[in-house]
This record gives sequence, C-alpha cells and structure tokens, in this order.
Amino acid sequence: MNLEEQFAARLCRTLDQGACDLDADIALRLQASRWRALDLRHCPREAGELALAGTTVTASRFGGRSLRTLLTLLAVLLGMGGTYYWNGFEQADINEEIDSALLADDLPPKAYLDPGFQAWLSHYAQSAR
Amino acid sequence: MVSRSQLSEFLASVERRAFKQAQFAVRDAETALDIVQDSMMRLAEKYGDRPEEELPLLFQRILQNAIRDHYRRARTRAGRVIALASLDPSDDDSADPLETLEIDAETSRFASPEGALTQTETLAHIEMALQQLPPRQREAFLLRYWEGLDIAETATVMGCTEGSVKTHCSRATHALAIALEAKGIRP
Repeated sequence: MNLEEQFAARLCRTLDQGACDLDADIALRLQASRWRALDLRHCPREAGELALAGTTVTASRFGGRSLRTLLTLLAVLLGMGGTYYWNGFEQADINEEIDSALLADDLPPKAYLDPGFQAWLSHYAQSAR
Repeated sequence: MVSRSQLSEFLASVERRAFKQAQFAVRDAETALDIVQDSMMRLAEKYGDRPEEELPLLFQRILQNAIRDHYRRARTRAGRVIALASLDPSDDDSADPLETLEIDAETSRFASPEGALTQTETLAHIEMALQQLPPRQREAFLLRYWEGLDIAETATVMGCTEGSVKTHCSRATHALAIALEAKGIRP
C-alpha cells in the first residue's frame, strides 16, 4: 500500500466513525427507507408463481386447442375404424352367400380341393370341346 | 439469487455510507435521504432477484446516477449552469491547482492527530474538505477508498476510464491533504 492509499485508508476510518455516529433521526429514516424498499423487492417466489400462473394460463389455452385437435382426430379415427368394421361385415355377408351357394350345390365344396377332381374337370372340359 | 434477508442486510450495511456520500454531494440532509431512499427502492424493485455479489456495484451505480440526476435537476431549476464540468466522464480536472502536492511521510501520522482538535472536529473538517472537492474527484475517492471498489469497478460506476479513476483519486487525496493541513490538521 503506497502513501496515498494509506492516507486514504486513515481518512476513511474516520469517515466510518462519522457514518456510525449518525443522528438517531437520520438512522431511523434510513431504516424506514430500507423497509420501504424491501416491500418493493422483486420477489422471486411471487415471480415464480406469476410465471407459473402464466404458464398455466398458456398451458390451458394450449391445452384447449390440443383437446379440440385430439377430439377431431379421435372422431376421424373412429370413423375410419367404423368404416373398416362395416366393410368387414359386408365382406362376411358376401362370403356367407358364396358359402351358402356352395353348400346348396350338389357338389361338396371339398371336391374343389381334390386334385383328381380338378384333373377330371380339365379332361371333361377338353372332351366337351 | 438474493433473499429478502440478504438484501436487507446489504442495504443496512451500505445505507449510512450512502447517506453520507449523498450528503457530501448535495450538502442537504433531506435531499440526501431522498436520494438514498430512491436508490434503495430502485435496487430492490429492479434488481431484487440478482445474485448478492452484484449488489454493491449495482447499488453504487444507482446511487451515483441519482446524485447526478439531482445535479441536473438543480441546474435546470436554477436556470444556471452549475460548475459541474467535472461530471463529464472525459474530464480529467486538468486545472486542479492541488495537483502538484506530494504527500510526504508525515501523512502517516494522521492516525493519531495531535493538538486540541477532537475526533469530531477532525471528522467535520474531513467532511467539509470532501464536500469542497470537485464532484468527480469526490466520487472517485469515496468509491475507490471508502466503498472499497477496485479501479475497474470504480471506472464502471463512474462511466470513465481506469486512468481517469487513478487521476481523480490521486488528485482528491492530494487536495484533501492540503485542505486538512490548512485547517491545522497535520496528518
């Protein structure tokens, strides 16, 4: 520490003493000012709550939109599923009609799976020509 | 992030020096109280969520700006130009007549002042000498030596270069030494 700094340090020690010995009235008013300032403090907890509240509002707004989208998508999927299911019934009806026709025929359906019967049909068709 | 109790503790630790700083600058206790209150409120309101270590520098910037604002308002109200050329950050007080003073080894005896002056009287003389310093010199001296800011921090608060801070501090110290010697205080 050079001479200038030593001199300044001594002056400041005396100034510190002066600051400590402030009038009681001044000290009280400073204290009141401090409390007033603390009341204005930007409170992180409150800010967090506010931020959270904002997020909640945003989320609910966003959630509302999502819900509508989700419901629309669900309706489309239900429609697609219903259509597929309905088409399945129609195919089942067609198959039922074929089955009925086959069962009603004299020829047993298993005959069509018989390789010998297939060969006979082929030979019969050629002979008929 | 500073808690309410930490902020309260910080403000309590600086409020008295802040008041004295403002009083040295504006020479009026009521105005000084207003300046300190505004500074504390501004710090709490706008920077209450900053880390604790940032508070000293922030507070000093707010306080010094509040003091400068007071000067500007006073100048406007009075309709005259107050001799505040040294408030200009680019100014280096080149006309300081005390510049050539050198502090010799005798200044080290200030810790135990001789003569009939009491400590209260000594303090009054020191405060008077501080009040009579050019504003920029006083600001640099108080920030650097009383508030304990380093040169870079002082330069940041004052909005000037580090070289200017050194110059202001040196001139302020020399001027104080001369003024105190003139009052019979031989540090």
